[in-house]
Amino acid sequence: MANAQQHVSLRGLSHVFSDGRQPLAALSGISLEVPWGQFTSVIGPSGCGKSTLLRIVGGLLRPSQGQVIIDGQPPRAAQRAREIGFVFQDPALLPWRSVLTNVRLPLEIDSLARSRPLPRPEELLGLVGLADFRDYYPHQLSGGMQQRVAIARALAFNPSLLLMDEPFGALDEITRSAMRYELLRIWEARPGARGRKTVLFVTHSIAEAITLSDRVVVLSARPGAVRADIDIELTRPRSQELERSRPFLDYADHLRSLLKEAPQ
Amino acid sequence: MTIRQTVQRTLRTFASYVLPPALAVTAALLFWELWVRWRDISLIVVPPPSAVWERFWDDPTFFWREGGYTLYEATLGLLLGSAIAVALAVLMAHSRLAERTLFPLAIVIKVTPLVAVAPVLVIMLGFGTTPKVIVAALLSFFPTLVNAITGFRDVNPGALEFLRSLRASSWQVFWKLRLPSALPYLFAAFKVTYPLALIGAVVAEWFTGDRGLGVVIFVANSNLDTPTLFAAIGVLALTGIAINALLSLAERRLLFWHESFRTVP
Repeated sequence: MANAQQHVSLRGLSHVFSDGRQPLAALSGISLEVPWGQFTSVIGPSGCGKSTLLRIVGGLLRPSQGQVIIDGQPPRAAQRAREIGFVFQDPALLPWRSVLTNVRLPLEIDSLARSRPLPRPEELLGLVGLADFRDYYPHQLSGGMQQRVAIARALAFNPSLLLMDEPFGALDEITRSAMRYELLRIWEARPGARGRKTVLFVTHSIAEAITLSDRVVVLSARPGAVRADIDIELTRPRSQELERSRPFLDYADHLRSLLKEAPQ
Repeated sequence: MTIRQTVQRTLRTFASYVLPPALAVTAALLFWELWVRWRDISLIVVPPPSAVWERFWDDPTFFWREGGYTLYEATLGLLLGSAIAVALAVLMAHSRLAERTLFPLAIVIKVTPLVAVAPVLVIMLGFGTTPKVIVAALLSFFPTLVNAITGFRDVNPGALEFLRSLRASSWQVFWKLRLPSALPYLFAAFKVTYPLALIGAVVAEWFTGDRGLGVVIFVANSNLDTPTLFAAIGVLALTGIAINALLSLAERRLLFWHESFRTVP
């Protein structure tokens, strides 16, 4: 029996893309244990397989080697149990649906899940601060607002695990730093059945990783392997002032040097 | 909204949508009329618009009735051809093998000169409505097929990935994502295929007709009755314009979310 404190276990994950002309090694021998309720960021140079890692954890991709265990079951089972919520870099809202019906989409796909206690879509929109925009259409919203809708949509089943793939990567700097604190607020306001949701957050922003996380995993360049695994011991709730504090800057320096050593 | 605002808005819509094309058509007709009179061209060769209008006004119900038959046949043909095309496109959009297998057959239909085939269809299908519907269906089949295949495939990869992450079935992906994504393509197809279906019905009527604008044109042509011929063509053109306007209206209602309605001011 796996350690019950661990929510997500990655064991010897390797992945090689073999559909191109030449096989491309994306990940090599990644093992991680993520406890329940931890906010973990995965950071690394571009093309290091961060997104591939997340897609494997979420059951969208089968790894060439190794396995993923989520609460004692494989990713696909966790997905079927509606325990995983996804937020991608592209919010990919359906443009012909209003904000509210976009958030409701997951419930339409799985009508059975409605038998369990779920947050109402209207309530989720309130949580992400878009209660007044429920009847708007995606093209009427800014990028940041669209990503808030995507976050609300990911929370539709109240999953215990959130997988976020550079969700703020396409936003401008000001919106982006505001969204960090928004995400923390939402995360702290909306616990799952077992306390806070576990979050796996892929990013290439050092500041974002430190601000949000309990722990930052640094991947090396392709094929991605765990280069460093750092606990971020900053008090919560975190605020913008923290970004100018000594410990924050030290973490940032440390991460920057680790990323610099990793050849691009 | 006050009455005054409503009136203003109606006037503005009229001024921007109806007035410009109406002016263009009026100018063309005026030019045509003056040209025929100035060159003293015989009525049998090119009738002036005034003579065509006179012929039409002489018996408008005749033209509308015959036009109605043609429209009816063309619409049935369009529905039949589009239904088959969309059904095949669903299959081909999901399977490259199905596409490779069936697409050559679709091309055969595309390249067959239907005017040449129409007499054979008469022999096969007899008189009545059926051969006209079939010819209209054959003409409207291919553009709908090609557009529908592209439309069903042209989905936002992120949205597709999200639906996959929800373990949505192919059927759900089709209804929630592929079909709405294909609507702009389908509308573009209908704007091409509805006129084609009308042409198909008219051509079929030439060979097998007992009624419809194709018959009117055929008989008028044999009798060198050019005013009737042009009046029939005019009714056909008006029908096409009306169909196009209705399609555009439906498009505005259904595709308000699409980029094409925001890229042109």
